[in-house]
Amino acid sequence: MDFTIRAATLEDCKDISRMILELAEYEKVSDQVKITQRDLEQDGFSKNPFFHGIIAEVPEHHKSREGHTKVGYSLYFYTYSSWKGRAVYMEDLYVMPEFRGKDMGKALMSKVSQLGLAAGCTQLNFTVLDWNKSSLDFYLKQGCWDVTSDLGYHCMHCEGDALEHLAQGDL
Amino acid sequence: MASFILRKAEPKDVSDILRLIKELAKFEEMEDQVILTEKDLLEDGFGDHPFYHCIVADVPKQHQSADSHVIIGFAMYYFTYDPWIGKLLYLEDFYVMKEFRGFGIGSEILKKLSQMAVRTRCSSMHFIVAEWNKPSIDFYKRRGASDLSLEEGWRLFKIDKQNLLKMTNEE
Repeated sequence: MDFTIRAATLEDCKDISRMILELAEYEKVSDQVKITQRDLEQDGFSKNPFFHGIIAEVPEHHKSREGHTKVGYSLYFYTYSSWKGRAVYMEDLYVMPEFRGKDMGKALMSKVSQLGLAAGCTQLNFTVLDWNKSSLDFYLKQGCWDVTSDLGYHCMHCEGDALEHLAQGDL
Repeated sequence: MASFILRKAEPKDVSDILRLIKELAKFEEMEDQVILTEKDLLEDGFGDHPFYHCIVADVPKQHQSADSHVIIGFAMYYFTYDPWIGKLLYLEDFYVMKEFRGFGIGSEILKKLSQMAVRTRCSSMHFIVAEWNKPSIDFYKRRGASDLSLEEGWRLFKIDKQNLLKMTNEE
């Protein structure tokens, strides 16, 4: 099937928002999505964007059952490793179920890699849920390795009330 | 020891920042992984589009370290994005030299970072910790941090430059 991979624009935020919800539903946590289409527009397409997007688009005659031509996306941003320097972090990678098996996911990830390499990055990082076997297999096939498993690094966070207390110096 | 100040890092601090990065990496038994140079730190942190930000802890000359340093702690951080909850502050490195621990310097650094996170409307502060690093895990958990790897099953993945190139060349 024909498809194009291109940089996301402001106009794509409606579809990105739709697909973010679809991905959250797949990960069984859609009630946690607080970001709106408008937030995406502000946070991703202002002077100092917090993220960048890539879209996988199919021609009109291949549109989805509900009439969508934007059928996959990736969100990424630049980070920094204190050991190796510039890095790129792939926050989301998603292809609508009816368009899987056509290498769109691979093409999206490849595009993020190309852009990362062009920006001087020496690694691509991302997280995967441990029950997501099909994604784990896909990534391991691309030559990725599991830092949590192999080196024992755990992802931690301090949010909401805990963050507020920390800011106030409470213990 | 009473006095220390926390301040934004300046270009002249890159030598100390690299020294502290290496000390922390040595503690994590990863010293040979640090390939970053002072030149990289200068270019990547103090150019037009910084990849990272740094806070340093500065003590007066009369309290300098055993090997004559006055920069005795630092935190390296940057802003990331979660498409569900928006902006996050990511803490890449956080370290206080051993001889200066127990004076509340680490707590003050964390407080300053949290204040910045709240001020810039970040929903959360994220970081990784090695699972064997019990003192650090306890330090963070005492301050309300939770382990996303354990609680939600997130695994951190990485793909290095060699495999990134391979992926982009397969297109």
